[in-house]
Amino acid sequence: MTTMMNRPASAPGDASGRKPLIERLNIVTALVVGTVSAIVIWQLALHFLPQDAETASFFNREDKISLMSLIAWFVGFMTGIGALIGPFRWAFGKDLNHDENMFLAGKDQGIKRYFRYTTDHKVVGIQYLVITIIILFVGGTLAMLIRTNLGHPQGGWIHPQAYNAIVGWHGIIMIVATIIMITGPFGNFIMPIMIGARDMAFPRLNALSFWLIVAAIPPVFISFFTGGITTGWSAYNPLASQAGLGMNGYIAFICIFAISTMVAGANITTTVVKMRAKGMTWNRTPIFIYGVVASVALALPAFPVFFLSQIMSAMDRAFATSFYNSAAGGSGWLYENLFWIMGHPEVYVILIPSVAALMEMAPVFTRRPLFSFNLAIMGIAGISGLSVLVWAHHMYISGWAPLLNAPFMLTTELISIPTGMLFLVLIGTLWRGRLWMTMPLMSIFALLWNFMIGGITGIYLSDVPADAFLHGSMYVTAHFHYTLMGAGLTGALASLVYWFPKMTGRMFDKTLSWVSFWLVQIGFNVAFIGMFLVGLAGQPRRVESYASIFNKGNLITTMGAYTIMAGMLVLLHGVISSWRNGVKAPMNPWQAKTLEWTVANPVPLENFETLPVITSDPYGYGKAQS
Amino acid sequence: MSELETTQRPSWWKRSDAKKAIFLWVIFTAIIGYTASIIQSRAMGSPASENMSNTINMVKIFTWAAAPVAGLVAALTITTLLGQRHFGDNPPPEAEHEIRNSPRVAATWVVVSTLLCLFAVIYGMVLVQADENKLRTANPINIDVTGQQWVWNFKYVDNGGAQSADLYLPVNKPVLFHVTSTDVMHSFWIVQMGIKVDANPGYVTETGTTPNKIGVYDLRCAELCGLYHAYMQKKVHVVSQADYDAWVQNQGGNA
Repeated sequence: MTTMMNRPASAPGDASGRKPLIERLNIVTALVVGTVSAIVIWQLALHFLPQDAETASFFNREDKISLMSLIAWFVGFMTGIGALIGPFRWAFGKDLNHDENMFLAGKDQGIKRYFRYTTDHKVVGIQYLVITIIILFVGGTLAMLIRTNLGHPQGGWIHPQAYNAIVGWHGIIMIVATIIMITGPFGNFIMPIMIGARDMAFPRLNALSFWLIVAAIPPVFISFFTGGITTGWSAYNPLASQAGLGMNGYIAFICIFAISTMVAGANITTTVVKMRAKGMTWNRTPIFIYGVVASVALALPAFPVFFLSQIMSAMDRAFATSFYNSAAGGSGWLYENLFWIMGHPEVYVILIPSVAALMEMAPVFTRRPLFSFNLAIMGIAGISGLSVLVWAHHMYISGWAPLLNAPFMLTTELISIPTGMLFLVLIGTLWRGRLWMTMPLMSIFALLWNFMIGGITGIYLSDVPADAFLHGSMYVTAHFHYTLMGAGLTGALASLVYWFPKMTGRMFDKTLSWVSFWLVQIGFNVAFIGMFLVGLAGQPRRVESYASIFNKGNLITTMGAYTIMAGMLVLLHGVISSWRNGVKAPMNPWQAKTLEWTVANPVPLENFETLPVITSDPYGYGKAQS
Repeated sequence: MSELETTQRPSWWKRSDAKKAIFLWVIFTAIIGYTASIIQSRAMGSPASENMSNTINMVKIFTWAAAPVAGLVAALTITTLLGQRHFGDNPPPEAEHEIRNSPRVAATWVVVSTLLCLFAVIYGMVLVQADENKLRTANPINIDVTGQQWVWNFKYVDNGGAQSADLYLPVNKPVLFHVTSTDVMHSFWIVQMGIKVDANPGYVTETGTTPNKIGVYDLRCAELCGLYHAYMQKKVHVVSQADYDAWVQNQGGNA
């Protein structure tokens, strides 16, 4: 009776028949509230904001209006999804009760929980997986537009303005997709189970980090219709301050995404440090966990800088400040520094979890322990540590500080040492092993091959005299696709196939995984070897037309790109068909020894009935026989 | 260690898969080094300055230094792939030996990769210093380069301030470019001379070279600078001193 009195609103059939607010909010209310608030602020600003004086040197009324509308969208969307309920309740001294928390965790809601502010880490993991696939699909389509345009000699059928916008859009959303593609789906769904926890340390922050990404996407989408991101993903100033209103969409997108990354980083780091199962010492923690933590911990110093750089960019645009305007005392070099202080750690944010995921799979598919676990950790730590000290190798030829070229060349090339350690760990684990031929296992070989090419070409680029020739050419584009796609995406696709049975309860179709693997890997190597060649011959990046000497190389690249597309479509078909009617997966299809395989399919709400106690590391293959 | 020594296992290099890997290593190193250096230097075309010759040499040397590493990775992975493969829905039996580490292999690996890395760093630094010194000691022609969306403008300060939209250079004469921009960032890249420097609004950056072959070369903008970035290109004409003097006077300068 008293409990009923305490929470009358949550009783299902009370007098008014209305469900409590917390149960009525979902993605629909979020979209409505977000859109309505954006439109309201837009109209108010149109009416009340004074016109620019005709004599003003900057016209920024439109920038103010569009930035305010985007902020209104963001606040409205987050309110509509229910992100503010928790903080408000807490501020007024009435925290959520148990039933409400169970509701937020998605208890007994079926499919609906995927469209709500659900805190269960498994729901968030699936949400991340779906949104990653959607973003990769859009980014891939844009890549195909770029390649189709460049497949045609002497420029194409896309207007230069639209082409530049497509390049910028492809770049930035692919960067976001690759940043979240491992730590999002697998870091959220698998990682807490792997360390023997019932959920993340801060479940509501977990939901927040996902819905922030959803909130960030419409601004970048709308930007395409308001002038586009015509600056490439790096959005260098002063080009960005000159660009149209589309840049405001980019700024809003980056700021929201940066908050999401910081929130996720704090959450995941805390979870791993504080919530590992009893007995899981650092020596018994799986290597994938190290990869995820290194990735999000690197994002913690990197993304606030990115956030700040864009706030300054917004102020230059809307308030005529001059952080980056050299005519008024600012400097474009300031932007370059801020951008790359984020930009270089960011590539390792993408790469490290991918390599770590494959390190996790190598013992499983060779039935032997991980070779030199300590060296793997040293490699990850070494890369993470050095990666914050190398940013100015993107600026060798900018003229900013020629005297600093030598020290940055040193720190950059030192990274090859910890990277070599990761190679040794993978090769050492595979060497003379009995190989269980599966798509994830072959992905390890593919990663070694692609990352070797990406790494070696990186050494050419890090040497100043070679960079004076190669910087800003297609060679650079090919190099970072080899690392981010050839290594990063390969690891993510392997993770998808490997953890698919746990996440969906069904096996990934074997044939489709093989077909897609070979199409993607062959297409990839064809496409980007062709790109290296045109880069060496002198084709600049981000051009929509080129001299006739580059015809052949570009045609090869375009054909390779179409092969990749075919492979990715096969994979997408595999995801959908296996998810809907694949073979039901046993609890531990790979007979692996990490904790996520000890829980039932589908994983129960709080993962473990009784929390596990760990007595050894998860790589004890072959002990019985020795 | 003593346990390992008493088990009387054959030395590692006598095992058949180790022999196979070493054989493949030699083959792959040769193939990768040869094809990669040939293909790359061919793609980079014929050099028109010493900077470019140095860059091509550096790419070749780095390729040959990297070939044994790439060859080793390829040899080890392919030997492994040619070894025991297991198909099916159930895992193969677990390994007989629990090899968790090999300090000797790890130490060798780390030492060798460190040496290769230091080689790359030192080689690069020596080359940078050499270029830098040459730029300072020579008595060059000074040319002011101004980028603007989407053209280049050249001012021949040592030739009475003649201006042109085309770049003419005398052969075998050092030239120093003072590069700036009037609007956004551009990047001044003479492809066949292997030099590049950004053009920043509000700053002047410098780069220099000595063209050593008469001919027509490509100048391209290498930093996205807006709508017609792809078309911000020019030809660079390297001509004899006499032709250059005539051309400059034609432009209203003095030779």
